[in-house]
Amino acid sequence: MWPSSPIHPLQLIQNTAARLVFSLPHLSDATPLLPSLHWLPVVARIQFKTLVLAYRCLNLSSTLPETAIPSYAAGLKDKAALVSALYRVIQEPQSEFLEPVCHQLFEFYRSGEVSLQRFTLQFLPEFIWSYLSICTNRDLHSTGCREALLLGIYNLEIIDKDGQSKVLSFTVPSLSKPSVYHEPSTIGSLALTEGALAKHGLSRVVYSGPHPQREIFTAQNRFEVLTFLLLCYNSALSYMASASLQSLCHLSTGVSICGYPRQLLRKYKGVSSRMPVSSEFLVQLITSLYYALYNGEWDMASKALDDVLYRAQLELYPEALLVGNAVKSSLPGGALKSNKEGTRCIQVEVTATSSRISRNAVTSLSIRGHRWKRNDSSENSIDIPDSGALSVPEISVTGVLGERVGNGETQRSRGEGEAQGGQDSGADSRDAVDLTSPEELMEVSEMDEGFCSRAASNASPPVIIITSSSGKTPGKSQRKSGSSRAGKEREANVESCRDHLSRKQAQRAMSENLELLSLKRLTLTTSHSLPKPDSVSLARTATAVFSKSFEQVSNVFGANNPASTGNTTSTEANRYSACSLQEEKLAYVSERTELLGPSSRHKQRSPSIGIQLSTDL
Amino acid sequence: MTAKKSGSRLETEIERCRSEGQWDRIPDLIRQLSVKLIANDDLAELLLGEAKLQQYLKENPIKQGASPRGAKPKLMEVRKHLTAALDRGNLKSEYMQEASLIMAKLNYVEGSYREALSNYFKVGLDDLQLVGIPVYRLSMIAEAYATKGLCLEKVPVASPVSNRHTGREQEIITCYEKSGDIALLYLQEVEKALSSGIQNRSPKPGPISHEQELGFFLETGLQRAHVIYFKNGNLTRGVGRFREILRAVETRTTQNLRMTIARQLAEILLRGMCEQSYWNPLQDPPHQSPLDDPLRQASNIEDYALSRRPKVYAGENIFCPQENTEEALLLLLISESMANRDAVLSRIPEHNNDRIISLQSASIVYDLLTIALGRRGQYEMLSECLERAMKFAFEEFHLWYQFALSLMAAGKSARAVKVLKECIRLKPDDPTIPLLAVKLCIGTLHWLEEGERFAKMVIDMGEKASEFRPKGYLAIGLVYSLKATDASLRGVQEEYQRKALGAFQRAQSLSPMDHLAAFYLALQHAVSRQIPEAVGYVRQALQLQGDDVHSLHLLALLLSAQKHYHDALNIIEMALSEYPEHFILLFTKVKLESVCKGPDEALLTCKHMLQIWKSCYNLTNPSDSGRGSSLLDRAMADRRQINNMTLPDFSDPETASSSSSSISGSEPSLHFFISSHHSPHSKSDPTPKPSSRHFCDHAPGRRASSPCNPPDAYFHGFFSLFSVCSVHATSVAASRVEQALSEVASSLQSSAPKQGPLHPWMTLAQIWLHAAEVYTGIGKPAEATACIQEAANLFPTSHNVLFMRGQVAELRGNTDEAKRWYEEALSISPTHVKTMQRLGLILHRLGRSSLSEKILRDAVQVNPTSHDVWNSLGEVLQTQGHDDAATECFLTALELEASSPILPFTIIPRAL
Repeated sequence: MWPSSPIHPLQLIQNTAARLVFSLPHLSDATPLLPSLHWLPVVARIQFKTLVLAYRCLNLSSTLPETAIPSYAAGLKDKAALVSALYRVIQEPQSEFLEPVCHQLFEFYRSGEVSLQRFTLQFLPEFIWSYLSICTNRDLHSTGCREALLLGIYNLEIIDKDGQSKVLSFTVPSLSKPSVYHEPSTIGSLALTEGALAKHGLSRVVYSGPHPQREIFTAQNRFEVLTFLLLCYNSALSYMASASLQSLCHLSTGVSICGYPRQLLRKYKGVSSRMPVSSEFLVQLITSLYYALYNGEWDMASKALDDVLYRAQLELYPEALLVGNAVKSSLPGGALKSNKEGTRCIQVEVTATSSRISRNAVTSLSIRGHRWKRNDSSENSIDIPDSGALSVPEISVTGVLGERVGNGETQRSRGEGEAQGGQDSGADSRDAVDLTSPEELMEVSEMDEGFCSRAASNASPPVIIITSSSGKTPGKSQRKSGSSRAGKEREANVESCRDHLSRKQAQRAMSENLELLSLKRLTLTTSHSLPKPDSVSLARTATAVFSKSFEQVSNVFGANNPASTGNTTSTEANRYSACSLQEEKLAYVSERTELLGPSSRHKQRSPSIGIQLSTDL
Repeated sequence: MTAKKSGSRLETEIERCRSEGQWDRIPDLIRQLSVKLIANDDLAELLLGEAKLQQYLKENPIKQGASPRGAKPKLMEVRKHLTAALDRGNLKSEYMQEASLIMAKLNYVEGSYREALSNYFKVGLDDLQLVGIPVYRLSMIAEAYATKGLCLEKVPVASPVSNRHTGREQEIITCYEKSGDIALLYLQEVEKALSSGIQNRSPKPGPISHEQELGFFLETGLQRAHVIYFKNGNLTRGVGRFREILRAVETRTTQNLRMTIARQLAEILLRGMCEQSYWNPLQDPPHQSPLDDPLRQASNIEDYALSRRPKVYAGENIFCPQENTEEALLLLLISESMANRDAVLSRIPEHNNDRIISLQSASIVYDLLTIALGRRGQYEMLSECLERAMKFAFEEFHLWYQFALSLMAAGKSARAVKVLKECIRLKPDDPTIPLLAVKLCIGTLHWLEEGERFAKMVIDMGEKASEFRPKGYLAIGLVYSLKATDASLRGVQEEYQRKALGAFQRAQSLSPMDHLAAFYLALQHAVSRQIPEAVGYVRQALQLQGDDVHSLHLLALLLSAQKHYHDALNIIEMALSEYPEHFILLFTKVKLESVCKGPDEALLTCKHMLQIWKSCYNLTNPSDSGRGSSLLDRAMADRRQINNMTLPDFSDPETASSSSSSISGSEPSLHFFISSHHSPHSKSDPTPKPSSRHFCDHAPGRRASSPCNPPDAYFHGFFSLFSVCSVHATSVAASRVEQALSEVASSLQSSAPKQGPLHPWMTLAQIWLHAAEVYTGIGKPAEATACIQEAANLFPTSHNVLFMRGQVAELRGNTDEAKRWYEEALSISPTHVKTMQRLGLILHRLGRSSLSEKILRDAVQVNPTSHDVWNSLGEVLQTQGHDDAATECFLTALELEASSPILPFTIIPRAL
């Protein structure tokens, strides 16, 4: 810590002084004189002074009045000598100061004063490291204070103010709900997947907790506790001084490479046996390292990140690998040198806003845009119902599965195709676009247009055909809502379109359901080890299940009903937001359930549904 | 009249062109205009000047950061036009202002910043109206502010007083912010005009798709303010500015800008902020924040007023993020949807660059999404997001790999393996990927053939795999070891065991520091009943990793195989002090205790286990819900604790999946039936009584028979727990397939699929079965039946339950019933050796010795190390008169018994 060069002259002076006291010759050895004078050598003296200072600082707080605490806390942070002295105490395996220091730090944490808590928290990485290294050396006797402090903080953090177990949760934002930054209608088609349906509203997800109170560390709960502590540390990252971030990098490196060949490579001294880790712990470490990278500790943090990734690879932890790879690949190519002040490297540049993708490239958007454009210009045709098309209007529902991508190397599964939903419109029509002229695409849309308008004139229910190999995708339903938006006929036409849409939607949802069910049924029956019930009863159950699940769907959307009606009344000059449209569709689903129920039961026997299992991975 | 009409029409046309930036059409229109109205000369000059300047800028765009060049002949022309218009002074005042603004811009382009500034001063930029003016003027004003900011940045400050300096900086930023706001307003107005234009105008196939581009000035105005903030280290204001831009309602032109800014803001939220320093977009920023550079004291930046502001997203209950991860996620999702839309799909070489650009912008977003969701542990959602990235992923290793990892983390093992295969194809010399695949294959999937193939890949890499080579051997050893357990033919079994042993030895010699290698070597020796070798290796493993639970467990089992039961129990106790909630250890403890301490202790341990079970899983929050898209995956998704608790007999996939269906629906009501003090046995009791006592009434006979039995107290306590933990029969109703089906279906379809992990229930059933076994051991059939009933409520079709029922029936002396139970158990699990052995004995007792012999011989084939079976076989053979063969069997049994552990070694889970 203290380089010898500036201290050495001081030591010479002290030696001279000692000789002076004893009036000894200039060249005599002064070292034995110092103890007899009760003088500490300079190095020891410095250390002693700082430690005394630390002790006083820490113990002063207990005598402070309540009101003075915040200012005291604010001042505490800036006492660099104190902080570095504390680090030294923690690093030493057995320091006599450790116990009072731990005690005082815990008192700080318990005080509830936020800045005092942060003061304690900044030593957390150092504590974890020293605790873990002592643990690995199986020197269990000297972990006492550290262990107590870590557990103390943990037990304070797992409960909230009322003493209830704290459950940390967050809301998963969803694009289907308007937010301060967007409106669902402008985002474009959202894939109507099972996941999207399940998460139609915003849902809160628990990411940590509730945690049980812990009295001792055991090998079983050690990393659970430490992971939670790191989570707490991460939530206060911005307040941590750079020394704390450095010790965090140190911790990451140490935990990751000790006992592995890389330790020799790094010439990293310290513990020589391997430390067990957990995947979640590594993920939390990476999270902190990510912050450290961009806040002044570029070099250390990137090295530590490499080490953590190395360990994650060796342990085959997918979670840590996932996050670590993402961090690594998002780093800018050249090393961001921390600027002179050694602070932050968050930088932004003025960027060109125009699209860097040339116009004639085929993108997901361009395909959709193509259809939109066609729509806009063909709006006249809506005025005149196309009497020529006499065929029964068809509603084709995408076979949600089996969309093998043309370049066959990807084995897409059913689920994938489903989740892709709207965006997939690009993917599977890619071939079409490349090979065929755009007119064909337009023809497709034209046909639908025709149907739209005619649905208004003849109110006969359309025949519903489920095909499993259609190239159409739900992306079109969005386009259709556009057409309804642009359409000139107000109520009738829009109504019919919506009607049409809703039916389509219902059908689609149903086909999904059917598919899921068939899947489910098959799983269950194949896996069931009991003698199988005869096929009749099975079919019965399946249909029962089906209707039940369908009710569920309708219930979910039924909840949205009032909102959607509210939306329709506010007619904002022929602008139906896709959101409201969607909600109406969904509301329609519930109404259609009865109507479609029987037909679906009928459909269930059709082969297009039964085959799904084969595509599942 | 016509002239006038057409004149006004021309004017609107010109206005439209100006607002939409169609400068090339202006000269044409002006010609028409000047033909009609001579008085419009000056206006024509103005317009011409403007159009030429804009054309010039379009042809010679100013680069960001580069300073504009000096005078050019074209610009001279512009100047001529403008001075002509200005000098004559015949124009209306607003046109004069316009002319001055254009002049100022020209000055900037020519590099004379001071003149530009003086122009602005003369016009009185801040006094210009924003309300009720044509759209194009908005853009003009926005550009003017931006230009002013640029000029101010270029012109050096007159006096070097620092106070003055910050004032200047303040002024610059305000210019840019105003410029940005007005630009946004302008863009919104243009879009509005465009869309209404489409509606009102007759079906004129005009070039509507004409895409507007922001010029240099508007771009600068929109972005320069936050760039300056970040340069000065003022994160708070920078973030605030970002949010202002993002909150404005988007237009087609701003989409790219929004995508970039959303991503940048997300980056800042993830890289520079934490939960405690966050403030939400609708809140006022904190006064003091650790985010701001303390060295540069931010001057108090006052807000400026504009008479019109861009429209922002508003509404009754719009979502407003409350946490930095939430906001980052929302922004990333928005950014992702735009990046996805720009995905270049065509593969022709001309579009290669475009594709790379779109891929890059998307993969940045996906990486950030991974970081944001990863720190919250939402791998399920992450895998769905990354699935959307797959349209970019052709031949892109990084995306494939991330997708595979996310599937793996989300517990969708089967798909993960498939995706990993593609990753291996893309990057054949990375040993980690096949190892990950092996991990999955020998884990939940139990695809041993595939696993073997992956493991061989690692080994085939040879030296290239460096540190992963021993892992490769370990992996293949595990595959062989598992195959050996599965194999039904003795020869095959031995072959695999030999191979496994070889692989483990290789792994151990390659990496002597790895405790896993030593441990599995020990385990393999143990399985082949080479006890002394196994002890040696397990000690080695323990030296490397002192508190490894499996090594300790193995050591205990080995000691029990050497019949040092007390030592084994001590080891178990020691292990339990480190792993108090480890159920497999506890099961072994029950066994050991019933051998060396008697049933009372064992029952106490059972009770303790139930308590632990309750405290463990009572806490588990049900909202830790799976959100997988595929049912199969979900049924197999049992990821976290599969390593530390595989149950010996529930682990076969058939039972597991069937029971998953029966149990999945009931998980959310965990709290319900734990709290409901309603044991199924109370049905037999006509008068409902407090359940903690009803067992005392239930078994009066027992009490009478042993009135002063001290362990009775334990039984009381045990049964009180019994009723607490018992599963309400009606709430599960798992025995009915139909119901199970519907439950799974509804749990899938409902918005909150509370699909809990399966193994808590398997553990519970296992605890009950252990208790039942202890009761059978001490000859208490009634209690044993009660325990079995509890287990049966959970897993009615488990062969273990049926086997235990058979045991109880045997205890009661009901041989026929026992036989029936055993047969049922065998029909579910035809290779359950214990059942085979019991059934063989019963058949033998019933006098059907040849069938009995057949069954016992089968059992010996399945598991040649079970001494009980050999012993029974010996008995059967003896009665049949094959004395030699019988002797051999007895000898084998004797030999095996000498090395048989208290529980089979294979209950220790084998996983990478």
